[in-house]
Amino acid sequence: MEFIKFIFKRILQTIPLLVIVSLISFFIIRLSPIDPLAELRLNPSISQETLDKEVRRLNLDKPIFIQYVSWAKSFVKGDLGYTSSGEKVSTKLKERIPNTLLLTTVVILMTWSAGIPIGILAAYKKESAFDRILTILSSIGMAIPSFFFAILMLIFAVKTGWFPVGGLTSYNFNEMNFAGKIIDIVRHIALPAIVLFTVSLSGLQRQMRANMLEVLDSDYIKFARAKGLNESEVVFKHALRNAVNPMITLLGFEFAGLLSGAALTEYVFQYPGLGRLILEAVMKSDINLVMASLMMGTIMLIAGNLLADILLMITDPRIRNRG
Amino acid sequence: MKRILIWVLIILLAAAALISCIRKDIPEDTGFINIKNQDSEISEHPQPNKNITLNGVDYLQSQAPVGIFGGEMVISTIGEGPKTFNPCNTKDATSATMAGLMYDGLLTTDSYTGEVIPQLAKSFEIKGNNYIINLRHGIKWTDGEPITADDVIYTYEDIVFKGLGNTAAKDAMTIRGKLPELKKTDDYTVQFTTPEPFAPFLRQLTYPIVPKHIYKKYSDKGDSVFSAFMNPNTPPNKIVSNGAFKLKEYVAAQRVVFVKNPDYYKINTENQKLPYLDKLVYLIVGDTNNEILKFEAKETDMLGLRGSNVARYKIKENNSDYKIYNLGADTGTLFLVINLNNQKNSDGKWNVEPKKQKWFQNRDFRAAVDWAIDREGMVKNIAQGVAKPLYTAESLNSIYLNKYIKGHPQDKNVSKESLKKAGFELKNGILYDSSGNRVEFDLYTNAGALERESIGVMIKQDLEDLGMKVNFKPIEFNSLVNKLSNTNDWDMAIMGLTGSPLEPHDGKNVWTSKGSLHLFNMGSGYNQKSIYPWEKELDEIFEEGALKLSFKDRKPLYDRYQTIIYNEKPIIYLYSPLRITAIRKKFKNIYPAPLSGLVHNLDEIYIEEKK
Repeated sequence: MEFIKFIFKRILQTIPLLVIVSLISFFIIRLSPIDPLAELRLNPSISQETLDKEVRRLNLDKPIFIQYVSWAKSFVKGDLGYTSSGEKVSTKLKERIPNTLLLTTVVILMTWSAGIPIGILAAYKKESAFDRILTILSSIGMAIPSFFFAILMLIFAVKTGWFPVGGLTSYNFNEMNFAGKIIDIVRHIALPAIVLFTVSLSGLQRQMRANMLEVLDSDYIKFARAKGLNESEVVFKHALRNAVNPMITLLGFEFAGLLSGAALTEYVFQYPGLGRLILEAVMKSDINLVMASLMMGTIMLIAGNLLADILLMITDPRIRNRG
Repeated sequence: MKRILIWVLIILLAAAALISCIRKDIPEDTGFINIKNQDSEISEHPQPNKNITLNGVDYLQSQAPVGIFGGEMVISTIGEGPKTFNPCNTKDATSATMAGLMYDGLLTTDSYTGEVIPQLAKSFEIKGNNYIINLRHGIKWTDGEPITADDVIYTYEDIVFKGLGNTAAKDAMTIRGKLPELKKTDDYTVQFTTPEPFAPFLRQLTYPIVPKHIYKKYSDKGDSVFSAFMNPNTPPNKIVSNGAFKLKEYVAAQRVVFVKNPDYYKINTENQKLPYLDKLVYLIVGDTNNEILKFEAKETDMLGLRGSNVARYKIKENNSDYKIYNLGADTGTLFLVINLNNQKNSDGKWNVEPKKQKWFQNRDFRAAVDWAIDREGMVKNIAQGVAKPLYTAESLNSIYLNKYIKGHPQDKNVSKESLKKAGFELKNGILYDSSGNRVEFDLYTNAGALERESIGVMIKQDLEDLGMKVNFKPIEFNSLVNKLSNTNDWDMAIMGLTGSPLEPHDGKNVWTSKGSLHLFNMGSGYNQKSIYPWEKELDEIFEEGALKLSFKDRKPLYDRYQTIIYNEKPIIYLYSPLRITAIRKKFKNIYPAPLSGLVHNLDEIYIEEKK
């Protein structure tokens, strides 16, 4: 009961947040001096009549506030509207969301399944050769900008010919058999995944190491050791459970980044995900598309935090009781 | 001491690394000299197509050498990919190219001569204001229905004349407020009657013909339904077309795949149905860098080259699997436009400050700017030699180019003289106008376009040598267009526009005083106090030019318009890049045409068998 009340309260809290975020972003986009019809206007063969028609279609002749109200009305009804080129926003998003999810889930699975054990090991073998090498590697991983690393990977792909240059599938994808299709996607996804993996792994295992070190240093671990428990029990049963709490909060943020976290890498690799779509939409001030993606980002962030809180309540009795 | 040694070593190492980078980045300049010397290389092209009737079907017979069937070609297209496959609703180049592959018009433009020649029509006759079109017998839509006069009448009357989709065609066909009339003589003959002789009309008959039995349901529901009809997510098997290729697959942000139309009406000299290629793939790429990488990784077969890349590719050409073609000057133009606006905006504020108005509206001031510009330098430094200086409003490959305008080199002394004549005064290297105001203004261009930003820097330097103060401001593309076409609050801008090498009337939105792209004096046609006598003359020229039918009668008019622009200099033209394209050697029947590009004859291109 406590649980449900908590979740309900959190969901109620999101409503004013969504209203504020949408108001601010709508007005900022609309007040920026970007003309959504710029490309059309500069085309000598487009007539004034076509331009006027487009202005009416996109509601650009109405005051901003009315534009916002009409957007908000349809958003509440679940209608995301049309893009400036006349396609449904929802279909556009549906095309891209699976692609982005595929990439980000693969990366998150890889990072977490590698980052947590490496972090634990590094903390356990603190100051050893393994830990030192890892420190250097993760410094490099954190220092290298992801877009730059992505470009290096692209050059690698061109020079060796081992990997395709960007995209998600080859042009003859539909003629391949099932195994061929899977291999094709793996080949395409490998490089962007490596880039994202390297960058987020360095952060994650550092974080895990720090948490673990702190816990391993604490009195109750010393006590457990003094009690004569064997090492694996000390580390996995006592230390790990306490060290993993901050990681759960982090996982909440990772969840929020599921749809938007890989934008830059996606762009460099020409990956057909949301990042590229939204970047292009912002450049053209394609309001419905931008708003839909911003709302989605906000909801994902709130959901991620909620998820983390729930997980924390499960793992941490202190929070549960305070709850 | 030891520390100093280490530092010296580090610096030496860094210097060595930097030097090796620099060496690597400067291409040897043997490459582009080659390209520059050879003028647009046009190999001999095949004889014009013939009409041939086999078993009651009127085929179009290509006279190009017979090739081998099969294979595919992969091309890249920059941007977001097509926005629609509806040929009547295309508003961007990518959509238009793709719709053009799928839908043929009655007539088409000869790629080599620019003349209007029959395509879907078997032949046409012009009798005064009557245009009689004879259609081919026995040709079909991709769903097997015959293509008849009804489809033609439907396309023009229900779509074009009603202004559905892109209304450019309707505009171009409206002659003094009246539209032409259509009459169906029989199932395979249609007659157009224009209210008066109208030169650009014939070219309008290249408008794509669409199937009435599919489109009518949607066009009857009005513009909003029709605009959404055939969006990129339409299942390909629902699309009925008549072009050489039909849509097979569209994957958002990745690719568009076309397959050959097995029922196409074009055949080779052995009476086999074209096209040769089985498949045509457009990869959708986000930017030029990615396009180049894809070509290098051999994922694509064709690449447009610009600037410094030309030299690099030319050097490697002999040991590679591609060949480079020079198609001559681009149809696009790059220019510096000066704002002659003297109107107030709706808030009662001047669009251009009154003191600046005095400068910009002075022809001698504009001449001074023109003479200070170093076009040769731009060609050499910015376009890496792969361009030609431009002085005319028509592009260099236009058939209406005024060849008497020779242009002039940069000469800052001429600039200084004309500034003096206009009452400006140079004091300690700073230019003042006759009322003692310092000459200072803004120069805009769109940020991110490296070429235009470099041009801006060169122009700024040259104008500052004359004592002007130029605030060069690259701003976001959409904001710039907003300034140029809506708010009009700008001083000078570097822009580019695409032009038509065949029909100067297409530029009427730029040159006539009521045009929507009349950048240099927006809206002057609506205000008697703003219009210049030479703008009135331009209006007359464009009206008269459209009504004259023969090239001979029209040429002097359009020569005159280019002379006016050259003399009055509201727009100062800079240079035209050359179009250099690389394509894999395995493709045969490549006949580059300056008017329409390298692969204008996709239905004739084939792949040579590997030896």
